[in-house]
Amino acid sequence: MAEPVIEFKDFSFRYKSQNADTLKHINLVINKGEKVLILGPSGSGKSTLGNCINGLIPFSFEGEIKGSCKVAGIETKEANIFTLSAHVGTVQQDTDAQFIGLSVGEDIAFSLENDAEERSVMLEKVELAAKAADIDGFLSEVPYNLSGGQKQKVALAGVMHNGVDILLFDEPLAALDPTMGNTAIDLIDRIQREQERTVIIIEHRLEDVLYRHVDRVILVSDGEIALDTTPDELLRSDILKESGIREPLYISALKNAGVVFDREDHLEDINTIDISRYEQALKSHFETHRASLSNPVVSEEVILEVRDVSFSYESVKALNHISFDIHKGERISVIGKNGAGKSTMAKLLCGIERPQEGSITFKGTNVLELSIREIGKLIGYVMQNPNQMLIKDIIKEEVELAMVLNEYPQAEIDANVESVLRMCDLYGMRNWPVAVLSYGQRKRVTIASILSLRPDILIVDEPTAGQDYHHYTEIMSFLEQLNREYHITILFITHDMHLAIEYTDRSLVFSDGELIADDNVFKVLSDTEVIRKANLKETSLVTLAEKAGIPPEEFIHAFIEEERRIRNEHETTVH
Amino acid sequence: MNTKRLFINVKPGKTFLDRLTGKTKVRLFLILILLLIQTWDIRLILPLLLLFITALISLKPDWKKVWGVLGFIILVNLFNLFLMWLVEPDYGLGVVGGSTVLARLSRFYIITAETMWYFFVRFTKFMATFILSLVFISSITPSEMAAGLYSIKIPYKICTIVSLAFRYIPDITRDFHNIKISIQARGMELDSKKTGLITRLKQNVLILAPLIITSFDRVGNIANAMDLRGFGKGKKRTYYSEHEDTDGDRILRPVILILVVVFVVFVVRGFIHPPVYQVWCPWIS
Repeated sequence: MAEPVIEFKDFSFRYKSQNADTLKHINLVINKGEKVLILGPSGSGKSTLGNCINGLIPFSFEGEIKGSCKVAGIETKEANIFTLSAHVGTVQQDTDAQFIGLSVGEDIAFSLENDAEERSVMLEKVELAAKAADIDGFLSEVPYNLSGGQKQKVALAGVMHNGVDILLFDEPLAALDPTMGNTAIDLIDRIQREQERTVIIIEHRLEDVLYRHVDRVILVSDGEIALDTTPDELLRSDILKESGIREPLYISALKNAGVVFDREDHLEDINTIDISRYEQALKSHFETHRASLSNPVVSEEVILEVRDVSFSYESVKALNHISFDIHKGERISVIGKNGAGKSTMAKLLCGIERPQEGSITFKGTNVLELSIREIGKLIGYVMQNPNQMLIKDIIKEEVELAMVLNEYPQAEIDANVESVLRMCDLYGMRNWPVAVLSYGQRKRVTIASILSLRPDILIVDEPTAGQDYHHYTEIMSFLEQLNREYHITILFITHDMHLAIEYTDRSLVFSDGELIADDNVFKVLSDTEVIRKANLKETSLVTLAEKAGIPPEEFIHAFIEEERRIRNEHETTVH
Repeated sequence: MNTKRLFINVKPGKTFLDRLTGKTKVRLFLILILLLIQTWDIRLILPLLLLFITALISLKPDWKKVWGVLGFIILVNLFNLFLMWLVEPDYGLGVVGGSTVLARLSRFYIITAETMWYFFVRFTKFMATFILSLVFISSITPSEMAAGLYSIKIPYKICTIVSLAFRYIPDITRDFHNIKISIQARGMELDSKKTGLITRLKQNVLILAPLIITSFDRVGNIANAMDLRGFGKGKKRTYYSEHEDTDGDRILRPVILILVVVFVVFVVRGFIHPPVYQVWCPWIS
């Protein structure tokens, strides 16, 4: 018998600072023991919904509540966050900031300490929770030595005590590389099954969450529940295309081939779909597109030469005899797991660190003889977090800062800044304060501020981290346009495989300080050995192609070109 | 990752002092520091200094770092005494109670045995205080400090602020470093050879804006994480880091008690029979 643990009845919420409701007339029931995915793009209200369940609303975020929200039978607006936290355990998105303790054990114990639990009891409970979250054996470890995935396990262990029956995960995949992401989804699944807890996952990466079964998907759009159904039903429909959520790639590929799914298909897992039924359709679709596949034209001009570069931090070898060339106008993805050497490589290119061996040459100039400031005019570096780069209050001042610091004549600054602002579609907003901008707009301002020095190469660190598909597409289309129209060479440092496949032509893959692959992106990402070493995961396109007996590399290529065409058509119809 | 720590330990060490509970460490430190502050008697200060040096040695610290700091402190302290002498060469007359001239440099500048004695006591006292603090800081983890402060009835919200600060210092240092690099790449010259001090100071101020914004983001997240795990729920709190008493704690408990009694006796006696001269001197009293 289904027993409801969370019940929203005609529930609306408005933040104190806003004049429109963020959540509108929500009706939703989640039953005990269910595993539910709350899906939606950024700004859809899905995180707000989560915060209503764990009590941060209205405890920490004030606002006006209409209707009713009951969690474990408690009306949340009448309760306080402490009563609710005895029922709901929340694992937040930022794995770093929620690590409060100075060691793993202490962090897991934090809520027990607040309950004034006896230390002897506390130790037992910590041990138990650590075991369940698969982080036992690390109890005395300090946060600075843990990976994102490990920190997340600690956060999970820290909210599982005392029979908390609802576990809420707010974007658990945001800070993890693909392999770690799989591990996290696996762990959540195991805990839900073994301990019979209710699990709520808030995410926008549908395909990655569906790595393990979920009972129900609730699609949130514009503060309303757009759909509340099984994953199969959701995937069969066409609603994802309009909602700013990335459809699983294998589903898109099948749909592109003209496949219409019926009730027989179990779509949430590629391995349960009977591909043989659609093999013919996939093959003939592939053949019609295969002929028109084009390889990107690469300029002959080499602008950056890296030769035999090695680098160590103290005694740890971070890069080992790395060599590669970069041609003008290339789009390159630099991939590899954390600590593989990709960030170190970027630091060497920007002059932040200097190699102990080898040479880096930019159009014949030895980069190693230049200062960071001089290299900044040739190679621009865009950091992951725009808030770490924004210094001035007004957009225009931010964009001209680099030129002012480099003491360019005012006339040149004005001319250059205007053209950069226009390039980045910021000219109309040039006098706006930076503080009012969204994350994506801030990102664009930081890119503009780097472009003002007219570097030939742009290194962009995780451009899409924490972005949903809609904002992701917006940022990436912008960067693609910079590349296409202004021939700026772009290096993306990323562990997002979609990004690499869709927006780059060539991949440099690092693993343990070695450059293990440097080739066409489709080839690299259909190579199982490279994928394993770089902590990536095989894309479902490869699985699909193999099942249908189509060469994966060409299949991915054909798929991406088709998607690109569809996207461009879509953009032209919109404009 | 490289975690640069000065003397602050995150993981508890293995020596006798390290293994004590936070409660004992904090209490012992406080009573010893109080004793030192109220006394000018070398017969107490010198043995304490020797004890603290022994304690420091027992911790097996990184001597390179210790000497760096000690050297600096000794120099500053000696310079300070020299300045005192410049202003008042016969300082010892007031506090020790005599003026035995050892050398006369000019009509005003004299060197007296009592002033030198006073300077010697003052120097020893200062060094004892400093080494005691060094021993305390090197032997305690921030979590133990929080637990220890809580044990002397300081509200736990304040105790938690102390340990949180230590938790996030490395994160904020890393943010600062990143911001600095990005702004350097955009053309800021931070090389001391190429730009003046004032310009560099101004430029460092520029780094503060993004640092504050990123830190605020962080603070919001931390506060939510703490709320969600019930921080501030009750009046009482326990501490994971506060382990059961070791033999050391049991031995030290009466010692602390005796020290408290000694301290009280000293203070009371000082009130009833205030000494004529502040500093005890072997050839005067």
